[in-house]
Amino acid sequence: MAKTYEPDSGQQAPRGGLILLQVLILGLFCLFIVRLWYLQIHKGEHFAELARENQMRQASIIAARGMILDRNGKPLAVNEPSFALGMIREDCPDVQGTLQKVAEWTGLDYQVLLDTYIRGKKRSKPFEPLVLISNLSYELLAKIEANAVSWPGLEILTRHKRYYPNGNLLAHVMGYVAEANEEELEKDSRLALGDHVGKQGLELTLEQRLRGEKGLKQIEVDAYGREHDQQVLLEPRAGNSLSLSIDMDLQTFASKQLEGQAGSIVVLEPTTGKVLAFVSQPTYDNNLFVLGIPPKKWKELRDDPMHPIQNRVSQSVYPPGSTFKLLMAACALSEGIIKPTDTVSCSGSYRVGDHDFHCWKKGGHGSVDMRSALVHSCDVYFYQLGEKLGIDRINRFALQAGFGTPTGIDLPHERSGLIPSTAWKKRRYGENWTRGETLNCSIGQGYVQVSPLQLAKFYASLINGGKVIRPSLVLSDPVDVQGQLPITEKDRDFLMKAMVETVNSGTGQKIKRADAMMGAKTGTAQVVKLINADIRAKTKDTPYKYRDHAWIATWGIKDNKSYVVICMVEHGGHGGEDAGPLVRNIYDYLFGPSKPLPPAPKGEAAQAQQPQGRQD
Amino acid sequence: MTPVDRRLFTHINWPLLLVIGCLFGIGVLNLYSASGFRMGDGVSLNPYYQKQCVWGVAGFICMVALTFFDYRYLKHVAWPLLAVTIVLLALVPVMGKTVYGAKRWLDFGLFSFQPSEFAKFATLMVGALMLSNDSGKLGWLGLFTVLAAALPPAAMVIVQPDLGSGLNILLVLCGMILYRGLAGRVFKVLLLVVPIVIPCGWFFLKPYQKLRILTLFNPERDPLGSGYHIIQSQIAIGSGQMWGKGFLEGTQSQLRFLPEKHTDFAVAVFAEEWGFVGGVVLVALFCIFLYILVCTARDAKDRFGSFLAAGVFFYFFWQILINMGMVLGIMPVVGIPLPFISYGGSATIVNFCLIGIALNVSMRRFVFKKT
Repeated sequence: MAKTYEPDSGQQAPRGGLILLQVLILGLFCLFIVRLWYLQIHKGEHFAELARENQMRQASIIAARGMILDRNGKPLAVNEPSFALGMIREDCPDVQGTLQKVAEWTGLDYQVLLDTYIRGKKRSKPFEPLVLISNLSYELLAKIEANAVSWPGLEILTRHKRYYPNGNLLAHVMGYVAEANEEELEKDSRLALGDHVGKQGLELTLEQRLRGEKGLKQIEVDAYGREHDQQVLLEPRAGNSLSLSIDMDLQTFASKQLEGQAGSIVVLEPTTGKVLAFVSQPTYDNNLFVLGIPPKKWKELRDDPMHPIQNRVSQSVYPPGSTFKLLMAACALSEGIIKPTDTVSCSGSYRVGDHDFHCWKKGGHGSVDMRSALVHSCDVYFYQLGEKLGIDRINRFALQAGFGTPTGIDLPHERSGLIPSTAWKKRRYGENWTRGETLNCSIGQGYVQVSPLQLAKFYASLINGGKVIRPSLVLSDPVDVQGQLPITEKDRDFLMKAMVETVNSGTGQKIKRADAMMGAKTGTAQVVKLINADIRAKTKDTPYKYRDHAWIATWGIKDNKSYVVICMVEHGGHGGEDAGPLVRNIYDYLFGPSKPLPPAPKGEAAQAQQPQGRQD
Repeated sequence: MTPVDRRLFTHINWPLLLVIGCLFGIGVLNLYSASGFRMGDGVSLNPYYQKQCVWGVAGFICMVALTFFDYRYLKHVAWPLLAVTIVLLALVPVMGKTVYGAKRWLDFGLFSFQPSEFAKFATLMVGALMLSNDSGKLGWLGLFTVLAAALPPAAMVIVQPDLGSGLNILLVLCGMILYRGLAGRVFKVLLLVVPIVIPCGWFFLKPYQKLRILTLFNPERDPLGSGYHIIQSQIAIGSGQMWGKGFLEGTQSQLRFLPEKHTDFAVAVFAEEWGFVGGVVLVALFCIFLYILVCTARDAKDRFGSFLAAGVFFYFFWQILINMGMVLGIMPVVGIPLPFISYGGSATIVNFCLIGIALNVSMRRFVFKKT
């Protein structure tokens, strides 16, 4: 029975409002029906086609990183299979719950996993596996595999993990790869979360050559999301494998020489610039970094007073001591300010203003020409030479010889070292250059700072005809001549002969061989300036951190093979005494053991072997 | 205790209950399909539809409970409720629980809830109370008074940040103001001013919100983010064509190309499986549902009841418009669920509660009938 009712007068619903509501309903209905008609009828076929295409998922195929071998084909960096836990987020109905479970299985922090997920989500397509944990241990892998069945969206991914079979023997050269960080991902659009990239050493500098290119596959899935068929759209291209100039056996042998000490050894082919051994001691195991170094281990390495992470060949700079005198002599000859036969009288000290600059030999060397000044490392001779040249000429020549700038070796973060000049001091300290500073620099002290690799490069140029060659580690890379020392053949020959004589009768006798032509220059770099330079305690009586650095820069030629070997022992004492025997062992390794030498004439050899004061 | 008027039972709004029943049924059935992450052996691992049924039962109980008292009683609790809401909203930044980067929840140990849901109720009631005070058109003073009451809770919700719920509160209130009617001069001025003010809001949007609006016009702009949602949603709906792919046969949803298919994009699953025909039926059901609410507003025995029903109307109207508009690719992607179709505990309960209020108004429309 139909009844009509009316509300109280004055309590009626607003008439205009009611019309508005009905208009809104009509509008809503028309809008949606028209839109549905447009999408489903007008464009229906088009979207049906897109839906069919949707059933094809695309996924990238990881490319293997190129291997690194030594010059004889020994593996230095290889790839091992590794496993990662990935999540396909569109397959995962309950992301938070799943992450909670993963955290339970692995003992990892839930928040860390969630952060990884949120970061990865921004960078991956909905059906691309997003890497939650890389480098799963076998134990974790088993645990996850056993449980993952009931948690859709999780997937074990097979990847490659870098392994360095020689561990710490070559860590400073190889560097390491590790997971790309936020900044690297941002910079390089080809990288995905969980990808490994070079972080240090050759792995970093040769990244583009080693990495390769990812491939692409298309996966057809059925209505249950199961894979039906796979088709490779783009084959992955593995990275290039590279052979290094390093000789791993030599590297191992040279490393042993420095065992228990801090220092560096470089063995270089002077004609090609190829590095055969690159030893920086102490060292660390670069495999630790591939899996993400545990914080405790990292703290240990970082806080180690011997700084094992420091690359002492190209990233450390020191005063070169007397090894710099060769450069001083070359500079003087090139500038023509002195003839090799000109003599200087050494009384044991040289007065400039009100300050005495001492020679290492308290009683002085008497009258010395350039040859004997080099052989006996007379400081007074080089003080006077430095004064005549002036710091700016020394600076110019040293820069041409490759000092003061990185050598350009294929390693990152190389140090420039320092060759001062008057302009530099003005800029740096706002002060004028003093004569005394020139004297200090003339014997490789004061502001002068060089890396062992720069010294190797310079000594190589002295014996290879004056070519300044970039030291390089990749065997196949062409020889890179960066410049030419401005010095005549005759002068160069003179310098070589002086170095030979240093071995035969001077401070470098420890490396003397009967069957090879050997040249050397020793050096002892002061770490702290003592008040009385000539009355110094013996090395073993000085606290370690105040002991001098021992240098020896050498070359050897035998049977058409030539090498430059530089050795630097931090706080090692005297160059010839302490670094010499190590280098001698390396030449024995390179050339084979030599016959015993005839007994040395008493006078000179005894003088060389019993140092007095700051002798090289 | 006053005996319950027997006429109330005879005057239950059966059409409203029937339509709600249909919509909720469709929603559950659709969730069964949408949440069907089915492994090869046919096991459904994520039974959203079961949980939704539980929420439905809870909502139904709330709905029934809300019909047992005279809705005019709400006049007395509207202001206190608003005050409590503001206090709760103020607590959110201090002790709220952060979920997906936004603080929206208050956790009370045994249960947690979003005060923003409370805010919807409170503003709706206060709005109805203020607007039903007299019958003239709304002048400037009236307009500002009403807005002053609703803006604080809306603003507090927006800064949580929950732009969707905040806008919802404002839109419901605006709808109710339009329902009451604005004085001619006010209406003319607003007609000029609003189109200028709204674009200025652009500068207050967060970058991702701006992106969503830009993406609407060019989905390819952000193909992995909000653009992805729009593209996949349109593919799902469009590929349903005239008759749909059939129940549980929607490839886009079953293969999980469609994101958030059990919540905001649930209707895309429906349109894919039931096609244009199903889509028209669903839209028609929603329109009938809204029309019943209009009738409730029309037939209410007093203006307060009428404005309550109008508020409920706008609450649902905006959600339907925004959610379906988003899924159909004619509105920006905003996290607003589709009433009765999308999965969601608190939303389901709030929806049923509001239906309870509408039923309450509807049941009591005859009490003071003229004879």
